[in-house]
Amino acid sequence: MDQKEIYELLAEKLGAAALGFNDEGVEAFADVEPGGIADACTFLRDDGRLAFDQLMCLSGIDWDGYDENGKGKSVKILGYTDEGQPETSDRVGEGDFGVVYSLYSHSLRHKFTLRVRTPRTTASVPTVSKIWSTAAWHEREAWDLVGINFEGHADLRRILLEEHWVGHPLRKDYQMPSQWENVPLNGQPYNENPFPKPEPTPDPTPDQPSGDDPAEG
Amino acid sequence: MSKNPTIPEGYDIQREQMLNFKVPEQLLKVLDEDGRSDDKNFILTTVDEVFNWARLSSIWPVTFGLACCAIEMMAASATRYDIDRFGAGAFRATPRQADLMIVSGTVTAKMATRLKLIYDQMPEPKWVIAMGSCAIGGGPYFKYGYHVVKGVDFLVPVDVYVPGCPPRPEVLLEGLMRLQDKIRGRKGKFITPKWITDYAKKIPYRK
Repeated sequence: MDQKEIYELLAEKLGAAALGFNDEGVEAFADVEPGGIADACTFLRDDGRLAFDQLMCLSGIDWDGYDENGKGKSVKILGYTDEGQPETSDRVGEGDFGVVYSLYSHSLRHKFTLRVRTPRTTASVPTVSKIWSTAAWHEREAWDLVGINFEGHADLRRILLEEHWVGHPLRKDYQMPSQWENVPLNGQPYNENPFPKPEPTPDPTPDQPSGDDPAEG
Repeated sequence: MSKNPTIPEGYDIQREQMLNFKVPEQLLKVLDEDGRSDDKNFILTTVDEVFNWARLSSIWPVTFGLACCAIEMMAASATRYDIDRFGAGAFRATPRQADLMIVSGTVTAKMATRLKLIYDQMPEPKWVIAMGSCAIGGGPYFKYGYHVVKGVDFLVPVDVYVPGCPPRPEVLLEGLMRLQDKIRGRKGKFITPKWITDYAKKIPYRK
C-alpha cells in the first residue's frame, strides 16, 4: 500500500493525535502525538489492510540545536582533548527528543515510519513493548544511550552500559567521564615512569671493568 | 667473516643459535686445559637458562579475544601462520593454566574489571601483549570513546606492544618473538617488581 494511503487510514483512526505526514525526504514518515503512539501501533498491527507484524527498528533522537521545524545547526559534541582529558562546557542542551519507529509487514510487504517528539524536560513516551515484544530491548537501548523514559515498560534497565553508569552518552550535551568506578577512561599521563631510567654509564677506563646493565631487574 | 652460501638471505642464524643451550666459553677453555673434555659430549648450562628456555618455548596464551584483533590472532594460530611453531599455540580456556594474555582488541570499561580479574587469576610468571591500537592507547576511540580505556597499560603491566589496526599475524608473531627475547634475558627468581604490585592495586575489580 502507498505511504500516503497508510497515513490516511491512520489519521482517520487517530484523529487529532495524528500530526502530519512528510514524504519529501528519503523516507516518508508520519508525526504522531506521544500519547497516541500505543493506539497507533495497535491499529497498524491489527488492521487487516495494514498488518505491520514487525518492528524493524526503534531509534532515539536528540534534536539538540534544532527547533520543531527542523531549523537550526548542529552543536559541538564534547569529547576528550589531545591530552586525553574530558572537554567541558557550560552549554545546556536544548531541543526535543524523538523516537522513530520503523515498521514492516511481512504479509503485505510494505513499510511505514512513525515519529514522536517529546520535550527534553519530561523525555517520556508510552511503551510499545506490549505490541511488539522486540521493542523491549530497543527501548532499553534508547533509555540507556539517549535517556528516553518509556512509560509502562516492564523492565527498563540499561542494556549496554553498566547499571551504575551516570548519564546517557549519546545525548549531545553529554560530558565524557574521566573514570568509571576507578577504571580510568581518560588518557592521563603516568604519575611516575614505571621503568627505572638507566644510570648514565661512566666512560670506560682500562682500570675499571664495565659492570652489569644498570637497567637490570 | 665469510658468507655461507647455503644460508638464504635474511635468515637469522644468530637467533637460531640463541635457542640452543650455550656453553660459556670460559668453562670450555678450563675443561680443555684439564684435558677432561676431549669429545665434548656434555652440556653445561645454568638453571636460569634452562628455566628461561623452557618458559619461552611453551608460552601458553589465555583464550581472550576482545574485538577484530582477535580475528588476526586466530589467523596467527591457524595453519598459514601457525603460532604453534613458537610453542605458543596452546590457547588455554582458563587463565590458571596460562602464561600470556594477548589483549586483542578494545578494552571497554565494562571489560576492564573482567580483564583485571583474569589477569589476577593467572599464575606467575605471566606476561601481557597489548595487540592493536585500541589496547595500546585507545586507538580510534580516543576522541569520543566514552566507554573505552585509553590503553590497557592503565590496568595491567604490558610487556610488548604490537601496533596495527589490526596488526597482521606476522606482526603478532614478531611481538611474540620479542617477548621470547625478553624472557630469555631474565635472571634469578621471578619476583614481581614493586611498581607492578602497586600498579595492580590501583584498579579494584567489582565483586
